[in-house]
Amino acid sequence: MLIGTGEPEALSKGAPNMVSLDAEGTTFRDVVFVQSLFEIRSEGMCEMLPPALHPTLPPVAGFSLFEVSDSEWGPFRLVQLRIECRSGLRPRGLLVSAVTDNEAAGKALGNQYGFRVRRGEVELARAYDETRIRVGIAGRDSLCASFRGPTRIGEGDMQFVSSLHPANTPRGFRLVQLDARYAVHRAERAPLDLETFDAAAWGEPRIVPSLCLPAVIGRGDVTFDPLRFVCRSDVMAFEGTEPV
Amino acid sequence: MKFGIFHELATPRPFTADSESTVIHNALEQVRVADEVGFDTVWAVEHHFLEGYSHSSAPEVFLTACAAQTERIRIGHGAVVCVREINHPIRVAERAAMLDVISHGRLEFGTARSSTWTELGGFEADPDRTKQDWDEFVRAIPGMWTQERFSWKGNCFSMPERAVLPKPVQKPHPPMWVTVTSAGTELDAAERGLGCLGVATASLSEQERRTKEYHRRIQQSNPVGAVNDRVATLNFMYCHEDLKTAATRGMSFLGMFGLLNSHLLFTREAYPTTGYQSLGGLSAPAGSKGGGNPGAAYGVPEGVCIGDPSAVIDAIKRWESVGVDQVNFLVNACEILPQEQVLESLRLFAREVIPAFRESGTDAGASAC
Repeated sequence: MLIGTGEPEALSKGAPNMVSLDAEGTTFRDVVFVQSLFEIRSEGMCEMLPPALHPTLPPVAGFSLFEVSDSEWGPFRLVQLRIECRSGLRPRGLLVSAVTDNEAAGKALGNQYGFRVRRGEVELARAYDETRIRVGIAGRDSLCASFRGPTRIGEGDMQFVSSLHPANTPRGFRLVQLDARYAVHRAERAPLDLETFDAAAWGEPRIVPSLCLPAVIGRGDVTFDPLRFVCRSDVMAFEGTEPV
Repeated sequence: MKFGIFHELATPRPFTADSESTVIHNALEQVRVADEVGFDTVWAVEHHFLEGYSHSSAPEVFLTACAAQTERIRIGHGAVVCVREINHPIRVAERAAMLDVISHGRLEFGTARSSTWTELGGFEADPDRTKQDWDEFVRAIPGMWTQERFSWKGNCFSMPERAVLPKPVQKPHPPMWVTVTSAGTELDAAERGLGCLGVATASLSEQERRTKEYHRRIQQSNPVGAVNDRVATLNFMYCHEDLKTAATRGMSFLGMFGLLNSHLLFTREAYPTTGYQSLGGLSAPAGSKGGGNPGAAYGVPEGVCIGDPSAVIDAIKRWESVGVDQVNFLVNACEILPQEQVLESLRLFAREVIPAFRESGTDAGASAC
């Protein structure tokens, strides 16, 4: 059985600080979202995960983008890079890091939900036949991707997986589970063309894309539920999962 | 009620020639014992690239060995992946017919389309069209077996008139099944006159719903060949005189199997498509924490055939009551249980459990269609 062998201490470096785990649920209306996965090289697939988690076969990482036109922090864009994994029997995505173009939103998402997020440039350009994303960190492109030739798919034809956010919490360093619910209004599928991906800039240089998978580009309401579980990173999820 | 053993050939790490050889030869020994003591069918899956979970990539070879080493037990090719990038339908028909000949007419022929991206992606198969491929395979193959010469013009494949050889021993052809992982596939089975081969554990209530609907729909089927109207379900089995011992040992391999299964990347996770509406995971029946079963005190979920003979009989009777004709058992995973314990469990099951169903008059007799 494959189990994460990454050092929890390494994961905790730069983790956000959460003063409480009682964040209220938040709904963002009419969000444009992009969810895109790619297979990654299997070398290091266990080292990238803490002992609480298991890799998928094949190992997969991916990014998701939200374009939120209205929130209590104003409009913002958020891009997350995650490694898909398993917590016990459950599919999860371990957040590597995130980038937002709205500092207030980033601070709030870090404090309330444990996002490891920093300020950067996030661009989303949508046309009839193509969608483009660019993320800049410290003036350098860390992600450039395009999606050409979209085809319409059903609102239920995709899978969304809860995230695990490494964060310092009142209970100590934990993986904070964020359940995001999607009410999809419209969805399209398009092939991913990954033009630039600087894994080191995102904080995990061992992520090496090997096969791009089709992305989902859609529009809908996204709800972050109140936090329900946190998980110790150093033991398997069956043992280390704690209700909030 | 019929009973089968079901082999995934789950293999412990590190993968070496020795570890794979041990798993495969232990499985063959289990098949020989199952044949001797009265099990009805041995099934072997077709999976590719599923590290640890299943090293059964060439089931037709494994099952040929089973056929050669046994006299009576039926040979379940369960199931062949009917996707153009993975198997050609002519080769599938040829291999299956050969297996029916070698086994002297003991073949049960299962069909599937794979639920993991691990497999489909590995063959660069298109998840959007696997159901269409499967449908074309199951409509064409009976003709290859029953017609002296056969031709086909389709979307998935075409062929000019040729004799597909050899022909199977069973007439008109071996019983055909389709694996049912997610709700709705039982209707595909019914509409084509195919047996319903459950390969993901479903709760009793869900199985009852599916079975009722299957039997209702199959009355109006447009069969692809000879109708097989049986319903089989998959379960875990470990039988021991002591309930606590049974639970401890049985739950250990059940848990390992569930974990290995969860590592797979299911198509729905990786590839947005209408073709895969559910994750295809296999674990203990959902939403069942024991109910009234005697093993509940030791963590055995409702309907799981882990326990002493009495508990296992109770569990099977519940499956029988919802219309299941056959229960197929996983009996180990990754050699978590020593081989001798597995064989003892099979023998005890045959001695104490099978007679309870044979004597009750619920055995429907020969399983050929």
